Amino acid sequence: MKQYAQIRKNEYHDSLELLLATSILCEKDGIGKGNIAMGNAASKALFDSLGLSNPLAEQAGIMDVIIVAEAQSEEAFTEAVEATFEQMRGKKESNPSKHFDTTQDAVRAYPDAQLCVISVPGEYAKAEAMKALEAGLHVILFSSHISPEDELELKLFAQSRGLLVMGPDCGVVNLAGVAFLLGSVTDRGPFGLCGATGVGIQHVGALLQAAGSGASQIIGTGGGDLKQPVGGISMLMGIDALENDPATEYILLVSRKPNEEILAKILARIKDCSKVVVACFMGCERKVVESSGAIYAATLDEVAVKALELVGKKAMLQSESELDEMAAAAVVGMKPEQKYVRGLFTGGTYCEEAMNAFTALAGDVYSNAPLRESLRLKDSLVSCQNSCVDCGEDEFTAGKPHPTMEPSVRRPFITKEASDPEVCVLLLDFIFAVSAHMDPVGVVIEDIKQGMAAAAADGRKLAVVASICGTDSDFQSLGEQRAKLEEAGVLVCQTNYLAARLAGKIVALRNGGKQ
Amino acid sequence: MKTDTKKLQELFDAKELVVVNVGVSAFGEAIQKQGAQVIQVDWKPMAGGDDEMLKLLEMMGM
Repeated sequence: MKQYAQIRKNEYHDSLELLLATSILCEKDGIGKGNIAMGNAASKALFDSLGLSNPLAEQAGIMDVIIVAEAQSEEAFTEAVEATFEQMRGKKESNPSKHFDTTQDAVRAYPDAQLCVISVPGEYAKAEAMKALEAGLHVILFSSHISPEDELELKLFAQSRGLLVMGPDCGVVNLAGVAFLLGSVTDRGPFGLCGATGVGIQHVGALLQAAGSGASQIIGTGGGDLKQPVGGISMLMGIDALENDPATEYILLVSRKPNEEILAKILARIKDCSKVVVACFMGCERKVVESSGAIYAATLDEVAVKALELVGKKAMLQSESELDEMAAAAVVGMKPEQKYVRGLFTGGTYCEEAMNAFTALAGDVYSNAPLRESLRLKDSLVSCQNSCVDCGEDEFTAGKPHPTMEPSVRRPFITKEASDPEVCVLLLDFIFAVSAHMDPVGVVIEDIKQGMAAAAADGRKLAVVASICGTDSDFQSLGEQRAKLEEAGVLVCQTNYLAARLAGKIVALRNGGKQ
Repeated sequence: MKTDTKKLQELFDAKELVVVNVGVSAFGEAIQKQGAQVIQVDWKPMAGGDDEMLKLLEMMGM
Protein backbone atom coordinates (compact mmCIF):
# COMPACT_ATOMS: atom_id res chain seq x y z
CA MET A 1 0.00 0.00 0.00
CA LYS A 2 1.10 3.58 -0.64
CA GLN A 3 0.52 6.60 1.52
CA TYR A 4 -1.90 9.33 0.40
CA ALA A 5 -2.91 12.63 1.99
CA GLN A 6 -5.66 15.21 1.66
CA ILE A 7 -6.36 18.57 3.32
CA ARG A 8 -9.96 19.77 3.75
CA LYS A 9 -9.71 23.53 4.10
CA ASN A 10 -11.71 25.50 6.65
CA GLU A 11 -13.75 22.57 7.98
CA TYR A 12 -13.61 22.46 11.80
CA HIS A 13 -14.48 19.24 13.67
CA ASP A 14 -13.96 18.36 17.33
CA SER A 15 -11.40 15.70 18.26
CA LEU A 16 -13.97 13.02 19.07
CA GLU A 17 -15.71 13.45 15.74
CA LEU A 18 -12.39 13.01 13.97
CA LEU A 19 -11.54 9.94 16.01
CA LEU A 20 -14.81 8.42 14.83
CA ALA A 21 -14.00 9.52 11.27
CA THR A 22 -10.61 7.78 11.56
CA SER A 23 -12.31 4.55 12.65
CA ILE A 24 -14.78 4.76 9.74
CA LEU A 25 -12.02 5.48 7.21
CA CYS A 26 -9.76 2.64 8.40
CA GLU A 27 -12.60 0.11 8.04
CA LYS A 28 -13.11 0.97 4.34
CA ASP A 29 -11.96 -1.53 1.70
CA GLY A 30 -8.48 -0.88 0.38
CA ILE A 31 -7.40 1.27 3.33
CA GLY A 32 -4.62 0.40 5.78
CA LYS A 33 -3.29 2.53 8.60
CA GLY A 34 -4.71 6.06 8.69
CA ASN A 35 -5.42 9.12 10.78
CA ILE A 36 -7.67 12.18 10.54
CA ALA A 37 -7.07 15.27 12.71
CA MET A 38 -7.22 19.06 12.75
CA GLY A 39 -4.06 20.88 11.66
CA ASN A 40 -2.80 21.96 15.08
CA ALA A 41 0.75 21.34 16.31
CA ALA A 42 -0.20 18.43 18.62
CA SER A 43 -2.04 16.63 15.83
CA LYS A 44 0.83 17.12 13.38
CA ALA A 45 3.19 15.52 15.90
CA LEU A 46 0.73 12.65 16.26
CA PHE A 47 0.91 11.92 12.52
CA ASP A 48 4.69 11.64 12.89
CA SER A 49 4.43 9.29 15.88
CA LEU A 50 1.96 7.09 13.99
CA GLY A 51 4.42 6.77 11.10
CA LEU A 52 2.10 8.83 8.90
CA SER A 53 4.29 11.90 8.29
CA ASN A 54 3.36 13.67 5.08
CA PRO A 55 4.66 16.98 3.68
CA LEU A 56 1.12 18.03 2.74
CA ALA A 57 0.12 17.97 6.44
CA GLU A 58 2.64 20.72 7.18
CA GLN A 59 0.65 23.09 4.96
CA ALA A 60 -2.56 22.67 6.99
CA GLY A 61 -3.76 25.45 9.30
CA ILE A 62 -5.66 24.98 12.55
CA MET A 63 -9.02 25.29 10.75
CA ASP A 64 -8.10 22.57 8.23
CA VAL A 65 -8.60 18.82 8.46
CA ILE A 66 -5.62 16.57 7.63
CA ILE A 67 -6.26 13.06 6.33
CA VAL A 68 -3.33 10.69 5.84
CA ALA A 69 -3.80 7.00 5.14
CA GLU A 70 -2.22 4.03 3.44
CA ALA A 71 -4.36 2.85 0.52
CA GLN A 72 -4.23 0.40 -2.36
CA SER A 73 -4.67 3.24 -4.87
CA GLU A 74 -5.30 6.97 -5.01
CA GLU A 75 -8.81 6.23 -6.23
CA ALA A 76 -9.51 3.93 -3.24
CA PHE A 77 -8.19 6.64 -0.89
CA THR A 78 -10.30 9.43 -2.39
CA GLU A 79 -13.44 7.31 -2.47
CA ALA A 80 -12.96 6.17 1.13
CA VAL A 81 -12.40 9.75 2.37
CA GLU A 82 -15.50 11.02 0.57
CA ALA A 83 -17.62 8.17 1.92
CA THR A 84 -16.29 8.78 5.45
CA PHE A 85 -17.20 12.47 5.45
CA GLU A 86 -20.56 11.71 3.85
CA GLN A 87 -21.28 9.35 6.76
CA MET A 88 -20.18 11.98 9.28
CA ARG A 89 -22.52 14.56 7.67
CA GLY A 90 -25.43 12.13 7.87
CA LYS A 91 -24.76 11.52 11.55
CA LYS A 92 -24.70 15.25 12.30
CA GLU A 93 -27.91 15.93 10.37
CA SER A 94 -29.73 13.15 12.24
CA ASN A 95 -28.90 14.82 15.59
CA PRO A 96 -32.09 16.62 16.62
CA SER A 97 -30.33 19.26 18.79
CA LYS A 98 -30.72 22.92 17.90
CA HIS A 99 -27.41 24.10 16.48
CA PHE A 100 -25.76 27.50 16.89
CA ASP A 101 -22.40 28.85 15.78
CA THR A 102 -21.63 30.85 18.93
CA THR A 103 -22.28 30.60 22.66
CA GLN A 104 -23.79 34.12 22.69
CA ASP A 105 -26.38 33.19 20.06
CA ALA A 106 -27.31 30.00 21.93
CA VAL A 107 -27.78 31.62 25.35
CA ARG A 108 -29.73 34.53 23.81
CA ALA A 109 -32.08 32.13 22.03
CA TYR A 110 -32.58 29.97 25.14
CA PRO A 111 -32.85 32.26 28.19
CA ASP A 112 -34.30 29.34 30.20
CA ALA A 113 -31.06 27.30 29.88
CA GLN A 114 -29.61 26.53 33.33
CA LEU A 115 -26.29 24.98 32.51
CA CYS A 116 -23.46 25.24 30.00
CA VAL A 117 -21.02 22.40 29.27
CA ILE A 118 -17.76 23.57 27.72
CA SER A 119 -15.21 21.34 25.98
CA VAL A 120 -13.20 23.65 23.72
CA PRO A 121 -9.38 23.87 23.63
CA GLY A 122 -8.04 25.34 26.89
CA GLU A 123 -6.87 28.66 25.45
CA TYR A 124 -10.44 29.51 24.38
CA ALA A 125 -12.31 28.00 27.35
CA LYS A 126 -12.22 30.93 29.78
CA ALA A 127 -13.83 33.27 27.26
CA GLU A 128 -16.65 30.79 26.52
CA ALA A 129 -17.21 30.15 30.26
CA MET A 130 -17.44 33.87 30.94
CA LYS A 131 -20.08 34.27 28.22
CA ALA A 132 -22.17 31.53 29.86
CA LEU A 133 -21.76 32.99 33.37
CA GLU A 134 -22.70 36.47 32.17
CA ALA A 135 -25.90 34.95 30.78
CA GLY A 136 -26.66 33.41 34.22
CA LEU A 137 -25.75 29.77 33.50
CA HIS A 138 -23.88 27.40 35.79
CA VAL A 139 -20.82 25.99 34.02
CA ILE A 140 -19.27 22.53 33.69
CA LEU A 141 -15.79 23.07 32.29
CA PHE A 142 -14.34 19.88 30.79
CA SER A 143 -11.53 21.83 29.13
CA SER A 144 -8.11 21.66 30.77
CA HIS A 145 -4.93 23.76 30.52
CA ILE A 146 -6.60 26.81 32.08
CA SER A 147 -4.34 28.78 34.44
CA PRO A 148 -5.14 28.79 38.19
CA GLU A 149 -5.49 32.58 37.99
CA ASP A 150 -8.11 32.29 35.25
CA GLU A 151 -9.88 29.55 37.22
CA LEU A 152 -9.97 31.82 40.27
CA GLU A 153 -11.32 34.74 38.23
CA LEU A 154 -14.11 32.59 36.75
CA LYS A 155 -15.06 31.11 40.12
CA LEU A 156 -15.13 34.45 41.96
CA PHE A 157 -17.27 35.98 39.21
CA ALA A 158 -19.62 32.97 39.30
CA GLN A 159 -19.84 32.98 43.10
CA SER A 160 -20.82 36.66 43.16
CA ARG A 161 -23.84 35.69 41.04
CA GLY A 162 -24.76 32.50 42.91
CA LEU A 163 -23.47 30.37 40.03
CA LEU A 164 -21.22 27.31 40.25
CA VAL A 165 -18.23 26.54 38.02
CA MET A 166 -17.45 22.82 37.99
CA GLY A 167 -13.91 22.40 36.62
CA PRO A 168 -11.70 23.13 34.75
CA ASP A 169 -10.72 19.55 33.98
CA CYS A 170 -14.04 18.35 35.37
CA GLY A 171 -15.08 14.91 34.10
CA VAL A 172 -17.85 13.72 36.41
CA VAL A 173 -21.09 15.52 37.30
CA ASN A 174 -24.65 14.27 37.93
CA LEU A 175 -27.29 16.97 38.35
CA ALA A 176 -31.07 16.69 38.47
CA GLY A 177 -30.78 13.02 37.52
CA VAL A 178 -28.64 13.58 34.43
CA ALA A 179 -25.06 12.27 34.13
CA PHE A 180 -22.60 14.47 32.26
CA LEU A 181 -19.33 13.81 30.39
CA LEU A 182 -17.53 10.86 32.01
CA GLY A 183 -20.07 10.27 34.77
CA SER A 184 -22.19 7.14 35.25
CA VAL A 185 -25.98 7.14 35.13
CA THR A 186 -26.77 6.87 38.85
CA ASP A 187 -30.02 6.41 40.76
CA ARG A 188 -31.19 9.29 42.96
CA GLY A 189 -30.83 8.85 46.71
CA PRO A 190 -30.11 10.63 49.98
CA PHE A 191 -26.36 11.26 49.48
CA GLY A 192 -25.01 14.51 48.06
CA LEU A 193 -21.48 14.04 46.70
CA CYS A 194 -18.87 16.68 46.07
CA GLY A 195 -15.31 15.90 45.05
CA ALA A 196 -12.15 16.98 43.31
CA THR A 197 -11.47 13.57 41.77
CA GLY A 198 -13.90 12.58 39.04
CA VAL A 199 -13.40 8.84 39.22
CA GLY A 200 -13.54 9.08 43.03
CA ILE A 201 -17.06 10.49 43.14
CA GLN A 202 -18.22 8.28 40.27
CA HIS A 203 -16.87 5.24 42.14
CA VAL A 204 -18.71 6.12 45.35
CA GLY A 205 -21.94 6.83 43.43
CA ALA A 206 -21.70 3.43 41.71
CA LEU A 207 -21.21 1.58 45.01
CA LEU A 208 -24.20 3.40 46.53
CA GLN A 209 -26.35 2.28 43.61
CA ALA A 210 -25.06 -1.32 43.75
CA ALA A 211 -26.30 -1.45 47.36
CA GLY A 212 -29.75 -0.12 46.42
CA SER A 213 -29.22 3.52 47.34
CA GLY A 214 -28.14 6.55 45.32
CA ALA A 215 -27.01 10.16 45.03
CA SER A 216 -29.10 13.34 45.13
CA GLN A 217 -26.45 15.28 43.18
CA ILE A 218 -22.81 14.58 42.28
CA ILE A 219 -20.72 17.74 41.98
CA GLY A 220 -17.23 17.58 40.47
CA THR A 221 -15.06 20.56 41.31
CA GLY A 222 -12.05 19.83 39.08
CA GLY A 223 -8.64 18.93 40.49
CA GLY A 224 -7.42 22.53 40.78
CA ASP A 225 -10.21 23.66 43.08
CA LEU A 226 -8.53 22.51 46.30
CA LYS A 227 -5.20 24.08 45.35
CA GLN A 228 -3.99 27.67 45.61
CA PRO A 229 -5.00 30.24 44.58
CA VAL A 230 -8.55 28.89 44.12
CA GLY A 231 -8.75 27.58 47.71
CA GLY A 232 -11.80 25.33 47.41
CA ILE A 233 -14.39 27.84 46.16
CA SER A 234 -16.40 25.18 44.30
CA MET A 235 -16.23 22.61 47.09
CA LEU A 236 -17.35 25.18 49.68
CA MET A 237 -20.21 26.26 47.39
CA GLY A 238 -21.06 22.61 46.84
CA ILE A 239 -21.28 22.00 50.60
CA ASP A 240 -23.47 25.12 50.99
CA ALA A 241 -25.82 23.94 48.26
CA LEU A 242 -26.03 20.34 49.46
CA GLU A 243 -26.62 21.51 53.03
CA ASN A 244 -29.60 23.56 51.86
CA ASP A 245 -30.92 20.91 49.44
CA PRO A 246 -33.96 19.15 50.97
CA ALA A 247 -33.27 16.00 48.90
CA THR A 248 -29.79 15.62 50.39
CA GLU A 249 -29.66 13.99 53.82
CA TYR A 250 -25.93 13.26 54.02
CA ILE A 251 -22.90 14.90 52.39
CA LEU A 252 -19.96 12.86 51.06
CA LEU A 253 -16.69 14.65 50.24
CA VAL A 254 -13.87 13.05 48.24
CA SER A 255 -10.49 14.49 47.31
CA ARG A 256 -6.76 13.99 47.48
CA LYS A 257 -5.39 15.66 50.62
CA PRO A 258 -5.35 19.44 50.08
CA ASN A 259 -2.63 21.65 51.59
CA GLU A 260 -2.96 22.54 55.28
CA GLU A 261 -4.51 25.97 54.78
CA ILE A 262 -7.22 24.79 52.40
CA LEU A 263 -7.83 21.63 54.43
CA ALA A 264 -8.37 23.80 57.54
CA LYS A 265 -10.92 25.91 55.63
CA ILE A 266 -12.85 22.83 54.45
CA LEU A 267 -12.75 21.22 57.92
CA ALA A 268 -14.04 24.44 59.51
CA ARG A 269 -16.94 24.43 57.04
CA ILE A 270 -17.70 20.77 57.84
CA LYS A 271 -17.73 21.64 61.56
CA ASP A 272 -20.35 24.27 60.82
CA CYS A 273 -22.47 21.96 58.64
CA SER A 274 -25.90 20.94 59.90
CA LYS A 275 -25.83 17.62 57.99
CA VAL A 276 -23.74 14.49 58.62
CA VAL A 277 -20.58 14.52 56.48
CA VAL A 278 -18.43 11.54 55.45
CA ALA A 279 -15.00 12.77 54.27
CA CYS A 280 -12.18 11.06 52.41
CA PHE A 281 -9.18 13.33 51.87
CA MET A 282 -6.82 10.60 50.65
CA GLY A 283 -3.67 10.55 52.77
CA CYS A 284 -5.12 12.72 55.56
CA GLU A 285 -4.94 11.48 59.16
CA ARG A 286 -8.08 10.13 60.80
CA LYS A 287 -7.92 12.42 63.86
CA VAL A 288 -7.58 15.54 61.68
CA VAL A 289 -10.74 14.66 59.75
CA GLU A 290 -12.62 13.57 62.86
CA SER A 291 -11.76 16.86 64.61
CA SER A 292 -14.27 18.49 62.23
CA GLY A 293 -17.04 16.14 63.31
CA ALA A 294 -16.95 14.33 59.95
CA ILE A 295 -17.01 10.56 59.65
CA TYR A 296 -13.53 9.50 58.47
CA ALA A 297 -13.03 7.31 55.42
CA ALA A 298 -9.53 6.22 54.38
CA THR A 299 -10.43 4.94 50.91
CA LEU A 300 -13.05 5.45 48.22
CA ASP A 301 -14.58 2.08 49.12
CA GLU A 302 -14.81 3.14 52.75
CA VAL A 303 -16.73 6.31 51.84
CA ALA A 304 -19.47 4.10 50.40
CA VAL A 305 -19.29 1.61 53.29
CA LYS A 306 -19.62 4.34 55.94
CA ALA A 307 -22.32 6.19 54.00
CA LEU A 308 -24.40 3.04 53.49
CA GLU A 309 -24.15 2.22 57.21
CA LEU A 310 -25.97 5.52 57.84
CA VAL A 311 -29.02 4.21 55.98
CA GLY A 312 -28.78 0.62 57.23
CA LYS A 313 -27.39 -0.81 53.98
CA LYS A 314 -24.27 -2.80 53.23
CA ALA A 315 -21.77 -2.17 50.42
CA MET A 316 -21.46 -5.10 48.00
CA LEU A 317 -17.75 -5.86 48.42
CA GLN A 318 -15.69 -9.05 48.41
CA SER A 319 -14.34 -9.98 51.86
CA GLU A 320 -10.66 -10.52 52.67
CA SER A 321 -11.25 -14.26 52.99
CA GLU A 322 -12.90 -14.35 49.55
CA LEU A 323 -9.87 -12.54 48.10
CA ASP A 324 -7.55 -15.02 49.89
CA GLU A 325 -9.40 -17.95 48.31
CA MET A 326 -9.27 -16.34 44.86
CA ALA A 327 -5.51 -15.70 45.24
CA ALA A 328 -4.80 -19.24 46.41
CA ALA A 329 -6.64 -20.71 43.42
CA ALA A 330 -5.04 -18.26 40.98
CA VAL A 331 -1.43 -19.23 41.77
CA VAL A 332 -1.94 -22.97 41.21
CA GLY A 333 -0.04 -23.96 38.07
CA MET A 334 2.20 -20.90 37.84
CA LYS A 335 5.86 -21.31 36.90
CA PRO A 336 8.55 -20.43 39.50
CA GLU A 337 9.76 -17.35 37.58
CA GLN A 338 6.28 -15.78 37.49
CA LYS A 339 6.35 -13.22 40.30
CA TYR A 340 5.40 -9.74 39.12
CA VAL A 341 2.25 -7.65 38.58
CA ARG A 342 1.70 -5.43 35.56
CA GLY A 343 -1.11 -2.91 35.97
CA LEU A 344 -2.55 -0.99 33.02
CA PHE A 345 -4.89 1.80 34.10
CA THR A 346 -7.14 4.17 32.22
CA GLY A 347 -6.76 6.90 34.85
CA GLY A 348 -4.52 8.36 37.53
CA THR A 349 -6.80 8.06 40.57
CA TYR A 350 -7.17 4.30 40.13
CA CYS A 351 -3.49 3.83 39.28
CA GLU A 352 -2.46 5.59 42.49
CA GLU A 353 -5.06 3.78 44.60
CA ALA A 354 -3.94 0.41 43.20
CA MET A 355 -0.26 1.10 43.83
CA ASN A 356 -0.99 2.05 47.46
CA ALA A 357 -3.12 -1.06 48.01
CA PHE A 358 -0.60 -3.34 46.29
CA THR A 359 2.47 -1.90 48.02
CA ALA A 360 0.96 -2.58 51.43
CA LEU A 361 0.88 -6.31 50.57
CA ALA A 362 3.67 -7.05 48.12
CA GLY A 363 6.25 -4.26 47.91
CA ASP A 364 7.22 -1.38 45.65
CA VAL A 365 5.68 -0.66 42.27
CA TYR A 366 7.39 1.14 39.38
CA SER A 367 5.25 3.55 37.37
CA ASN A 368 5.09 6.51 34.99
CA ALA A 369 3.12 8.18 37.83
CA PRO A 370 5.04 6.71 40.80
CA LEU A 371 4.29 6.97 44.52
CA ARG A 372 7.84 8.28 44.95
CA GLU A 373 10.33 9.56 42.40
CA SER A 374 12.81 6.69 42.80
CA LEU A 375 10.13 4.34 41.42
CA ARG A 376 9.65 6.24 38.15
CA LEU A 377 9.91 4.01 35.06
CA LYS A 378 12.74 5.12 32.79
CA ASP A 379 10.50 4.42 29.81
CA SER A 380 6.72 4.15 30.27
CA LEU A 381 6.64 1.55 27.51
CA VAL A 382 9.14 -0.72 29.28
CA SER A 383 7.92 -2.27 32.56
CA CYS A 384 10.23 -3.20 35.38
CA GLN A 385 9.50 -5.81 38.09
CA ASN A 386 6.12 -4.77 39.62
CA SER A 387 4.82 -1.94 37.40
CA CYS A 388 1.61 0.05 37.02
CA VAL A 389 1.18 2.35 34.04
CA ASP A 390 -1.32 5.21 33.94
CA CYS A 391 -2.42 5.20 30.29
CA GLY A 392 -4.31 8.46 30.89
CA GLU A 393 -1.04 10.41 31.29
CA ASP A 394 -0.26 13.11 28.71
CA GLU A 395 2.38 10.95 27.00
CA PHE A 396 -0.40 8.58 25.85
CA THR A 397 -3.19 11.08 25.29
CA ALA A 398 -1.45 13.93 23.40
CA GLY A 399 -3.69 14.69 20.43
CA LYS A 400 -5.95 11.75 21.29
CA PRO A 401 -9.03 11.28 23.47
CA HIS A 402 -8.66 9.91 26.99
CA PRO A 403 -8.53 6.07 27.21
CA THR A 404 -11.99 6.07 28.84
CA MET A 405 -13.33 7.26 25.49
CA GLU A 406 -10.81 5.38 23.33
CA PRO A 407 -9.68 2.30 25.31
CA SER A 408 -7.59 0.72 22.54
CA VAL A 409 -4.41 2.41 23.81
CA ARG A 410 -3.98 -0.53 26.23
CA ARG A 411 -4.19 -3.27 23.59
CA PRO A 412 -0.50 -3.59 22.67
CA PHE A 413 0.53 -3.40 26.35
CA ILE A 414 -1.77 -6.27 27.31
CA THR A 415 -0.21 -8.47 24.63
CA LYS A 416 3.33 -7.45 25.61
CA GLU A 417 2.93 -7.91 29.36
CA ALA A 418 1.08 -11.21 28.94
CA SER A 419 4.06 -12.58 27.00
CA ASP A 420 6.59 -11.66 29.73
CA PRO A 421 7.57 -14.95 31.47
CA GLU A 422 8.14 -13.13 34.78
CA VAL A 423 4.56 -11.79 34.98
CA CYS A 424 2.05 -13.67 37.14
CA VAL A 425 -0.84 -11.19 37.15
CA LEU A 426 -2.23 -8.47 34.90
CA LEU A 427 -4.31 -5.80 36.64
CA LEU A 428 -6.85 -3.75 34.66
CA ASP A 429 -9.55 -1.18 35.34
CA PHE A 430 -12.65 -0.51 33.23
CA ILE A 431 -14.55 2.74 33.64
CA PHE A 432 -18.00 3.38 32.17
CA ALA A 433 -19.25 6.84 31.28
CA VAL A 434 -22.21 8.28 29.40
CA SER A 435 -19.91 9.73 26.75
CA ALA A 436 -17.38 6.90 26.74
CA HIS A 437 -16.85 3.81 24.65
CA MET A 438 -19.95 1.58 24.67
CA ASP A 439 -17.97 -1.69 24.86
CA PRO A 440 -14.72 -1.04 26.76
CA VAL A 441 -14.28 -4.72 27.65
CA GLY A 442 -14.94 -5.79 24.05
CA VAL A 443 -12.08 -3.60 22.81
CA VAL A 444 -9.46 -5.60 24.75
CA ILE A 445 -11.06 -8.98 25.48
CA GLU A 446 -9.50 -10.77 22.49
CA ASP A 447 -6.06 -9.48 23.52
CA ILE A 448 -6.67 -10.79 27.05
CA LYS A 449 -7.80 -14.20 25.77
CA GLN A 450 -4.88 -14.47 23.36
CA GLY A 451 -2.44 -13.40 26.09
CA MET A 452 -3.75 -16.05 28.47
CA ALA A 453 -3.71 -18.70 25.71
CA ALA A 454 -0.15 -17.80 24.66
CA ALA A 455 0.97 -18.04 28.30
CA ALA A 456 -0.70 -21.45 28.60
CA ALA A 457 0.99 -22.65 25.40
CA ASP A 458 4.28 -21.65 27.02
CA GLY A 459 3.47 -23.72 30.14
CA ARG A 460 2.62 -20.64 32.22
CA LYS A 461 -0.61 -19.63 33.91
CA LEU A 462 -1.41 -15.94 33.70
CA ALA A 463 -3.92 -14.46 36.17
CA VAL A 464 -5.88 -11.43 34.95
CA VAL A 465 -7.60 -9.34 37.62
CA ALA A 466 -10.01 -6.53 36.76
CA SER A 467 -12.62 -4.19 38.19
CA ILE A 468 -15.41 -2.20 36.55
CA CYS A 469 -16.53 1.25 37.71
CA GLY A 470 -20.07 1.72 36.52
CA THR A 471 -23.73 1.19 37.38
CA ASP A 472 -26.45 -1.10 36.08
CA SER A 473 -28.17 2.03 34.69
CA ASP A 474 -25.19 2.86 32.47
CA PHE A 475 -25.57 2.54 28.70
CA GLN A 476 -22.77 -0.06 28.62
CA SER A 477 -24.66 -2.87 30.46
CA LEU A 478 -22.68 -3.75 33.54
CA GLY A 479 -23.88 -7.38 33.53
CA GLU A 480 -22.80 -8.06 29.94
CA GLN A 481 -19.41 -6.40 30.38
CA ARG A 482 -18.71 -8.35 33.57
CA ALA A 483 -19.86 -11.59 31.94
CA LYS A 484 -17.46 -11.05 29.01
CA LEU A 485 -14.57 -10.79 31.46
CA GLU A 486 -15.65 -13.74 33.59
CA GLU A 487 -16.23 -15.99 30.56
CA ALA A 488 -12.65 -15.28 29.50
CA GLY A 489 -11.41 -16.39 32.92
CA VAL A 490 -10.71 -12.90 34.29
CA LEU A 491 -11.04 -12.54 38.08
CA VAL A 492 -13.47 -9.63 38.49
CA CYS A 493 -13.39 -7.71 41.77
CA GLN A 494 -16.09 -5.32 42.97
CA THR A 495 -13.69 -2.38 43.13
CA ASN A 496 -10.27 -1.25 41.95
CA TYR A 497 -8.96 -1.31 45.53
CA LEU A 498 -10.02 -4.94 45.97
CA ALA A 499 -8.58 -5.87 42.57
CA ALA A 500 -5.23 -4.37 43.60
CA ARG A 501 -5.36 -6.24 46.91
CA LEU A 502 -6.06 -9.50 45.06
CA ALA A 503 -3.09 -8.82 42.75
CA GLY A 504 -0.99 -8.05 45.84
CA LYS A 505 -2.02 -11.32 47.48
CA ILE A 506 -1.16 -13.28 44.31
CA VAL A 507 2.29 -11.66 44.05
CA ALA A 508 2.90 -12.16 47.78
CA LEU A 509 2.07 -15.87 47.44
CA ARG A 510 4.44 -16.13 44.47
CA ASN A 511 7.21 -14.62 46.58
CA GLY A 512 7.07 -17.02 49.48
CA GLY A 513 3.65 -16.48 50.91
CA LYS A 514 4.37 -13.27 52.79
CA GLN A 515 1.48 -10.78 52.90
CA MET B 1 -19.36 33.57 53.74
CA LYS B 2 -22.04 31.12 52.68
CA THR B 3 -23.25 31.13 49.11
CA ASP B 4 -26.70 32.19 48.02
CA THR B 5 -27.76 28.75 46.79
CA LYS B 6 -31.09 29.74 45.20
CA LYS B 7 -29.85 29.29 41.63
CA LEU B 8 -28.16 26.00 42.48
CA GLN B 9 -31.35 24.73 44.11
CA GLU B 10 -33.26 25.60 40.92
CA LEU B 11 -30.72 23.51 39.02
CA PHE B 12 -31.02 20.57 41.46
CA ASP B 13 -34.82 20.69 41.25
CA ALA B 14 -35.09 21.10 37.46
CA LYS B 15 -37.79 18.86 35.98
CA GLU B 16 -36.23 19.25 32.54
CA LEU B 17 -32.68 20.47 32.20
CA VAL B 18 -31.88 22.84 29.34
CA VAL B 19 -28.19 22.56 28.58
CA VAL B 20 -26.00 24.56 26.20
CA ASN B 21 -23.20 22.27 24.98
CA VAL B 22 -20.22 24.16 23.60
CA GLY B 23 -17.76 21.91 21.77
CA VAL B 24 -17.63 18.10 21.59
CA SER B 25 -21.00 17.05 20.19
CA ALA B 26 -20.79 13.53 21.70
CA PHE B 27 -21.13 15.11 25.15
CA GLY B 28 -24.37 16.80 24.06
CA GLU B 29 -25.70 13.58 22.54
CA ALA B 30 -25.13 11.70 25.83
CA ILE B 31 -27.02 14.40 27.77
CA GLN B 32 -29.88 14.38 25.27
CA LYS B 33 -30.13 10.58 25.49
CA GLN B 34 -31.08 11.02 29.17
CA GLY B 35 -34.00 13.32 28.40
CA ALA B 36 -32.47 16.77 28.81
CA GLN B 37 -32.87 19.44 26.15
CA VAL B 38 -29.53 20.20 24.47
CA ILE B 39 -28.59 23.28 22.47
CA GLN B 40 -25.43 22.49 20.54
CA VAL B 41 -22.86 25.19 19.81
CA ASP B 42 -20.75 24.00 16.87
CA TRP B 43 -17.79 25.86 18.24
CA LYS B 44 -14.75 26.71 16.14
CA PRO B 45 -11.94 29.16 16.84
CA MET B 46 -13.15 32.68 16.03
CA ALA B 47 -11.15 34.50 13.38
CA GLY B 48 -9.64 31.15 12.40
CA GLY B 49 -7.58 31.11 15.59
CA ASP B 50 -5.77 34.36 14.66
CA ASP B 51 -4.81 35.83 18.07
CA GLU B 52 -4.66 39.47 16.95
CA MET B 53 -8.03 39.28 15.21
CA LEU B 54 -9.47 37.49 18.23
CA LYS B 55 -8.41 40.33 20.55
CA LEU B 56 -10.00 42.86 18.20
CA LEU B 57 -13.24 40.89 18.11
CA GLU B 58 -13.26 40.61 21.91
CA MET B 59 -12.82 44.40 22.17
CA MET B 60 -15.82 44.74 19.87
CA GLY B 61 -17.81 42.54 22.27
CA MET B 62 -18.00 39.55 19.96
